[in-house]
Amino acid sequence: MELVTALAIGAMFGIGIFQLLRRNVIRSAIGLIIISNAINLFLLASGAYDGIAAAYQDAVGQRSDALPQVLVLTAIVISMGGFAMVLAMLYVISARYKTSDLDEIKRLRH
Amino acid sequence: MNDHLIVLPIVIPLAGAAVGLLLHNRLRWQRYVTWLAITTSLFFAGLLLWHVFVAGETIALEMGGWAGPADITLVADPLSAFMAFMSQLVLWAGITYGMGCKDKCARYPTFFPLFLTLAVGLTGTMLTGDLFNMFVFIELMVISGTVLTALSDDYFGPEAAFKYFYISLFAALFLLLACGSLYVSYGTLNMADLAQRIAADPGRPMLPMAVAMLMAAFMIKSAVVPFHFWQPDFHTAAPTPVHAVLSSVVVKVGIYGFIRMNSLLFVDYAATIQMILLVMGAFGVFFGGLGAVGTFDAKRMLAYSTLGQLGFILVGIGWGTPMALAAALIYAFNHSLIKAAMLMLAGSVASRAPVKTANFAKITGLGKVTLPAGVLFLLGGMALAGLPPTNGFLSKLTLFRSGIMAESYLSLAIIGFGSLITLVYVGRAFQRIWWEALPEGVVPKPQGDRLIAPAILIGLCLVLGLWGTPLLQAADTITIWLSSADHYIQAVLGGAALLTP
Repeated sequence: MELVTALAIGAMFGIGIFQLLRRNVIRSAIGLIIISNAINLFLLASGAYDGIAAAYQDAVGQRSDALPQVLVLTAIVISMGGFAMVLAMLYVISARYKTSDLDEIKRLRH
Repeated sequence: MNDHLIVLPIVIPLAGAAVGLLLHNRLRWQRYVTWLAITTSLFFAGLLLWHVFVAGETIALEMGGWAGPADITLVADPLSAFMAFMSQLVLWAGITYGMGCKDKCARYPTFFPLFLTLAVGLTGTMLTGDLFNMFVFIELMVISGTVLTALSDDYFGPEAAFKYFYISLFAALFLLLACGSLYVSYGTLNMADLAQRIAADPGRPMLPMAVAMLMAAFMIKSAVVPFHFWQPDFHTAAPTPVHAVLSSVVVKVGIYGFIRMNSLLFVDYAATIQMILLVMGAFGVFFGGLGAVGTFDAKRMLAYSTLGQLGFILVGIGWGTPMALAAALIYAFNHSLIKAAMLMLAGSVASRAPVKTANFAKITGLGKVTLPAGVLFLLGGMALAGLPPTNGFLSKLTLFRSGIMAESYLSLAIIGFGSLITLVYVGRAFQRIWWEALPEGVVPKPQGDRLIAPAILIGLCLVLGLWGTPLLQAADTITIWLSSADHYIQAVLGGAALLTP
């Protein structure tokens, strides 16, 4: 199961990077969300989570390390705030520029 | 009781922000509360500095009162106290400028509370002794800075904020990856404990990855040249007081991170890190200088100049000798004061233009109506280029001297060229704004932003240029402190036994 977790993290990171580099702003924002979730999964995995037992106990039924889960919770809260702001800014930008193409959002450049 | 002093520079701005939000429909009172909060906080940051440097006691306070490395520690060692005081000083100037500025966004009810949360994030990043807590404070700082930029009077403010936030969020994710890699290898995130365990067992496979991730995160944070592309765009559109703070002290977060990585966390990798920083710094000096010459906007010019000046600091860290490190610290302090003052002056000239802009074509000759700003800009320009009697001379002198001692002549030649370029672009800006005649038909606004904050900063530059001994002694103390990672580990853990993971 560790292999599955590792592959899932890798696949999510790869898909996230691919989406992040797309030209559509919404797709790009979704790419950022996927990367952030890949990293949350990575943090969870760093607490000896192997996918067999629940995340709060290890395979033998012992209490597993709780700190990574605290880190994940904090990271989720922060990234939620961050993405709410990204989407709000995208809303303002698409209203002002009348486009969703990242290549056309470059009016600051002289 | 003295130990709790370290909490005050973080908690007072936070309380001020909360009270400021409650006063959202009494803007005059909100401004008074904000100014009172940042002044008190600056006072306590100064007291902390005095406590660390004059009384010679470092402070390590375990929040929540749990013993051992399992909790979040706030640490005020010489480096942290120095950086925190520097940040608070420039933030104080930025808020003072914001109170006298004519921008519409400064009358928005959340402007000053957000400025205070920016202060919380910045000071907290410098004072924390825990890597994940540093991530949280950096995020707080980035979010506050982004909202402040998106509020800007400039029509393209949201675009600038979007670019900054996108890149910074990505950088923060790298910081998080580094936290995860270090935690899975060493089972702790407390920086002192981490340094101890890395030194005891440097062979873990995830360690080089963590070093690379942290490097990437800090490089994006301080806009080192290959990672800089968002920075000039972002800084052109930000409101002047925000721009002055972000371009002078917020970029120092990366510098702080590099110094900590070199001297505490990854001492084994220090040679590699220093080599990378040296190459990127030299490239940055070159690129930033040329970029600044090629711009057509005073604020954008100063944003490119920041890239160049950060290059000087990185070259100082990259040489790696104690004297070069001291020179980099002096340079960082002086650059914060000078760059904040210069940006405020450029902003105050822009506020005199009929339509607010810092484009050279639109502000040619506008300086005729603000001669005091011209005098201050000239002094600030001299400081930026490193001419005596300003503090810029002091920082350039120590940096070049340490370069000669380190016998690194190629990088020395590059930064010498960079210094000359500084003189070129500052001179050009001064000539365009204050020397040339005001074109026909341009009617400057009768009142612009108040000049009290840049005047205080430039005054400090002159004082430090004429009487630089305290700054040199402080840099010396920090360098001695950083010469061994054991100092920090002893101060935080107090010789506690190594906990097994």
